[in-house]
Amino acid sequence: MAVEVRETHEAEHAVAGPPPPRTGLRRVTGPGWLRVLWMVPLGWVVATLLVLGARSALGYEPLWELQVLIVAWTVIVPLSFLGAIGGFDYWLYWISGRPTRPEDHSGHGARSWRDYFRVNTDHKVIGIQYLVTTIFFFVAAGLMAMFMRAELARPGMQYVDANTFNGLFSVHASLMIFLFIIPAFAGLGNYVIPLMIGAPDMAFPRLNALSYWLLPIAGLIMLSSYLVPDGGAFAAGWTNYVPLAVNQADGNLMFQMGVQWAGASSIMTALNFLVTIITMRAPGMSFWRMPLLVWANFATSTLVVLATPFVAGSQFFIMFDRVLHTDFFNPALGGDIVAYQHIFWFYSHPAVYIMMLPGFGIASEVISVFARKPIFGYRLMALSLMAILILGFSVWAHHMFVSGMQPWIRIPMMVTTLVIAVPTGIKVFSWLATLWEGRLHFTTPMLFASGFVSMFVIGGLSGIYLGSVPVDIHASDTYFVVAHIHYVLFGGSLFTIFAGIYYWFPKMTGRMYDERLGRIHFWLTFVGFNITFFPMHWVGLQGMPRRVADYAPEFGNWNFVISIASFGLGASTLVFLYNMIVSWRRGPIAPPNPWRALTLEWQVSSPPPVFNFDEIPQVVGSPYEYGTRGARHAVLNGKPTETGKAPEPVGAIHS
Amino acid sequence: MTLVGVAVGVALAIVAVFIPWLPDAASEQADIIDTVYWVVTIICVVVFAVVAGVSAYAVYKFRAPPGDTDDGSPIHGHTGLEIVWTLIPTILVTGIAVYSGVALAQAEDLPPDHRVVQVNSEQFKWSFTYPDIEVEGGRPLTTGELVVPVDQTVRFEITSKDVIHSFWVPEWRMKQDAVQGITTETTVKPTELGTFPVVCTELCGLGHALMRSQAVVLTPADFEAWVREQQRLAREGGAVQGRDLFVAQCGSCHILEDAGTQGQVGPNLDEALQGADADFIMESIVDPSAEIAEGYQDAMPGNFGEIFTEQQLEGLVQYLQEATGGGG
Repeated sequence: MAVEVRETHEAEHAVAGPPPPRTGLRRVTGPGWLRVLWMVPLGWVVATLLVLGARSALGYEPLWELQVLIVAWTVIVPLSFLGAIGGFDYWLYWISGRPTRPEDHSGHGARSWRDYFRVNTDHKVIGIQYLVTTIFFFVAAGLMAMFMRAELARPGMQYVDANTFNGLFSVHASLMIFLFIIPAFAGLGNYVIPLMIGAPDMAFPRLNALSYWLLPIAGLIMLSSYLVPDGGAFAAGWTNYVPLAVNQADGNLMFQMGVQWAGASSIMTALNFLVTIITMRAPGMSFWRMPLLVWANFATSTLVVLATPFVAGSQFFIMFDRVLHTDFFNPALGGDIVAYQHIFWFYSHPAVYIMMLPGFGIASEVISVFARKPIFGYRLMALSLMAILILGFSVWAHHMFVSGMQPWIRIPMMVTTLVIAVPTGIKVFSWLATLWEGRLHFTTPMLFASGFVSMFVIGGLSGIYLGSVPVDIHASDTYFVVAHIHYVLFGGSLFTIFAGIYYWFPKMTGRMYDERLGRIHFWLTFVGFNITFFPMHWVGLQGMPRRVADYAPEFGNWNFVISIASFGLGASTLVFLYNMIVSWRRGPIAPPNPWRALTLEWQVSSPPPVFNFDEIPQVVGSPYEYGTRGARHAVLNGKPTETGKAPEPVGAIHS
Repeated sequence: MTLVGVAVGVALAIVAVFIPWLPDAASEQADIIDTVYWVVTIICVVVFAVVAGVSAYAVYKFRAPPGDTDDGSPIHGHTGLEIVWTLIPTILVTGIAVYSGVALAQAEDLPPDHRVVQVNSEQFKWSFTYPDIEVEGGRPLTTGELVVPVDQTVRFEITSKDVIHSFWVPEWRMKQDAVQGITTETTVKPTELGTFPVVCTELCGLGHALMRSQAVVLTPADFEAWVREQQRLAREGGAVQGRDLFVAQCGSCHILEDAGTQGQVGPNLDEALQGADADFIMESIVDPSAEIAEGYQDAMPGNFGEIFTEQQLEGLVQYLQEATGGGG
């Protein structure tokens, strides 16, 4: 199967050039930004007329009902955008029975920067589209955090009012989760996984392109909620608990609808990953020869496919309650408020693992390469990912220990929550054992990966406190939880995203990043992160609730320290951005394999050829055979691949 | 290596124990929960010390010299070690789970001689109803701050009129969401006299941060005296009581300089009620939707006319009139 795909690709690749320039009317009717310019306003007009027409036909007052219009706009305008940019062209030709255009691969690969701004079916282009987009939203959401910390530096209200503050932390969390961490991992996976398994691309390249373009839509919907008149951005937290969410101003709909687009994007990518990993591995790559990043994305994608529909449903129910006046969550008419939390967390707890497992995979790749050692206990590492996947579905109600649900559920959920620490612990101990007797190179990716291990341990351990029902009754909904989530998602997920970006930067751009700036970035982040988030454990336990714009004066001093540190943490991002932009343009040319890694993505040029491999790789061994002389992961015809080396005799290392 | 780990562990444990992580413990439940907290802390500190110790040692011992191109030892695993680090955490977390379950049952144990207090929540205020204390007019006593006697278990029956709120007194440790449509419950046996903050911990909207009140724990004799005082005030009313009522019931949403309140959900009353007459103030309280100050939403609860006794309402109006310079 894979062989056929590659051969056709290769044959056409030879003749593929830039697409013929469109002329005349074709320029505005063909897929692209010119078509966006007229189709998006047209979609807006159609949506508006549809709502106004239906309301006037049915005699509803008032005609201009913003809630209903927002729903119509956030469905129809994005669809018209996707159609205009060219997301559906090929399928529409096919569905309507017209002859599909012969595949000229004009939509595949990047010849200039312009190719990153159109529908592109190359997984490498899509991976970079994902990463750049997600970093944009990371910066936007980070700035919101800076505004919050400015307000919180002193007790009382200084810069923003309560409504703005509630909007800031709600949009901050939603963007960080749905527009940064989840899709940033999808972006890294998109770039790396087909290369790692020896495939020419993802299984469904057009679906892959479409799933990327859903992402900016979701982000812009959430961001533009600030523009909604009377109330502004959604302000019920990213958890959007009812009845608050139902009672809120119209901006809340922008969360409900934004999540749908982000969720659809996630599900499409996850299906793509699953089919790609299952069917497109190179000959010889059995499941037990897959790099752990591939295992991690396999587990993550399964979680995404099974869990994401629940968050979509939870937000649709709120939207129906608001717009259609259903009563899912109206207790006066038999609705159930706590039911919302069950549905929401049935996604949103697995989502924590969706945001963590790919990071586990990245850490395994980076630590093995820079310790020059095989991953310790490879099979148990893979199996513990699967254990987390299964257990991850049985712990959701630990977010609800004080919610008023049936008290007995707390006990089984506490047990599963604590037991999930076991596979997680296995991973941590195995990473440490991988360092043992290694030859450690503390490059920037390795710094972030080892920083991740220690920070994630703190986040995992504070999770034990929150898993224990009696302690959670005290700590729930306080700053202790804020500290915990940031140790997991910042010290955990974000550190591995940074590790991954630095690690694959030479492969993606063909240039080396600046190592010195990378280290400065790491240390600023590491120190700033700990001073920002560690004291939050203390203020939380002492009695400061989360999600407050104002707090009791006794927490003033620590909040001041936290705010100052958070500004330093924010500034460290500038070092990262500067390093990335300048190195991308002017960094030294990267060799194909600067890290002397064994995995397949490093056995091709940097950046790789359009269809990744000129020859089908033959996988012959484990991806981590460092320390064994001559051991190879794969053989590529006609080209040498990296091999393991024998270690120096014991004793020589430390002399 | 083990020695380094142990040394780091001991050092961390000392630091962890000497930091006062938890606020004063003022209830029986607090003592139970704090014990669980410290047991978990000791286990976690040991685990973290092992991880930190091993990492620090590895970074120090196995760092490659510059320019090194060799590989480390080809160690693929160690079944014995892998079994050990699966089993030990399993035993630890099982222990924590069992102990937590037992502690939870103890904390929620309800002796037959308990007292019941209803906790009523709405955007953005708390009120507390004592079903067994009757005041003028045969209705149960309702107050804006919580007052309970020491050393008697209190069963809190918690309800919400609107969105979810969460009832928490940090010094008591116990916390419970208030959910519209159901009555949730929590149990506290206060063991220390004093005044403690009541905090809303579930995001409930604009006034969430200021949705606070106080819990006052009195000796049984003082509690009886307080009950009699409340019954007298309900009969007689007056501006002094009006100020207390304002601070407890209105302060989380309104600024009033005289009362020292800083809520910003509703209009600043120093301005909005400046020079207002008693009828306007009364209407603003019992029928707040009748006239909405410019720039504000129709967010004020409309049921103060039912919650407050007539004496309380009159006292409140009298106080507001005096504080804002109108009439009196």
